[in-house]
Amino acid sequence: MYVYLYDNFLRQQKYLPAIRSTEVKLTDYGIAGKILRLHNYIDAKPIIDDEIKRGAKTIVIVGNDSTLGQVLSRSATCDCIFGFLPVGPDNTIAEVLGIPVGPEACDVLSRRRREKLDVGWVNSRYFVSQLHVLPGKLEVVYDERFKVTANDKMEVVVCNLQPFFWKRDKHDSEQYVVHPQDGKLEAFLRPLTKKGWFGYKYEEPSIFPFEEMMITSRQPFTVEADGKITKEVKVKIKLAHNKIDMIVGRDRQF
Amino acid sequence: MIFSKSSHKAALESDEPELVSATSQEMPDEVETVVGPSVNVEGDFASEGNIIVKGSVAGSVYTSKHLSVELGARIVANVRAGSSTIAGEVKGNIKVKESLELTSTAKVLGDIEAKVLTVEPGALIFGKISMPGIDVGEKPGRSGRLSKKAEEIAVIIED
Repeated sequence: MYVYLYDNFLRQQKYLPAIRSTEVKLTDYGIAGKILRLHNYIDAKPIIDDEIKRGAKTIVIVGNDSTLGQVLSRSATCDCIFGFLPVGPDNTIAEVLGIPVGPEACDVLSRRRREKLDVGWVNSRYFVSQLHVLPGKLEVVYDERFKVTANDKMEVVVCNLQPFFWKRDKHDSEQYVVHPQDGKLEAFLRPLTKKGWFGYKYEEPSIFPFEEMMITSRQPFTVEADGKITKEVKVKIKLAHNKIDMIVGRDRQF
Repeated sequence: MIFSKSSHKAALESDEPELVSATSQEMPDEVETVVGPSVNVEGDFASEGNIIVKGSVAGSVYTSKHLSVELGARIVANVRAGSSTIAGEVKGNIKVKESLELTSTAKVLGDIEAKVLTVEPGALIFGKISMPGIDVGEKPGRSGRLSKKAEEIAVIIED
């Protein structure tokens, strides 16, 4: 049995045609199911647990990157198969998973090509897309073996499913996509150096693949993981192998 | 391979120019770890993949694959690698399984052990060089003294 979790933003008028045609296609394939609408402050885990008890086998998330992050960060431990129907803008993870945006995603869903995906674990909760530590005087210890510091402030981005983009200059559109299933998380450290009186300039980033990482600082620093922002002085990030059973497309990038 | 080019054309972070001036272009396909120029690493730095060092590393460095020490990089550590190219400064013993290449800007203060050694003119070496494959028939008595004499060699190769 399929259960569809719709993000709240899909109520907007401009998304109605895409939703209608998606629902028609799902009915054609015979995989239509119960529709539940998520709100901003709803924890998806108890809802999914309830649906699993009622016999749901596949939970399909309908929305964008933030919807996927919001649902999977809470419910990565649920014993079910996850599907994803990307609708609207801000869908970068869909491309990594090989799922086209819009009603064509129903084709991928109906084929049920499954893969186990790794997820990140930060201070007793999961993150699926990206973890971002805003610039601060940080000290990073990798796998309890070596320590990385910068002369001034440093920013840390840990990528799991969501790609990390950068470019060489203003006119360059070259982008690199992070492999979501290589058995490691990728950490991008970007030190900042003072430029002029007030400004800071980003230095060339360092890249470290890792399985366990500890970020500490004397002053509290801001951590953003799957849209949730917290202040921390110590963060432990780990990799949880093959945690999510997900339906992916043939054109996935891993 | 960790990274693969996507077909995206959209460019993000328009207000952060030149974040990676060389990383994306100079990196071979299998590069996994990059130590940036303004980053300091302390401890047992080990990786299963290739390593590019542009900053400073203290402690020990180990990789079973390729280690590249770029110009301006500084390593104060014993180094073990599958193969290596050094253009920066290394203070410590270097043990390379296959080929070691020292470019004209390289400075090595320590013993070198490599199967294949390439030294460009201008590279500075202070230490003992040993290469597996040569049978010197060493005896503990006299040859031991000889090896002690050969322990401190400064080599500046002209061509």
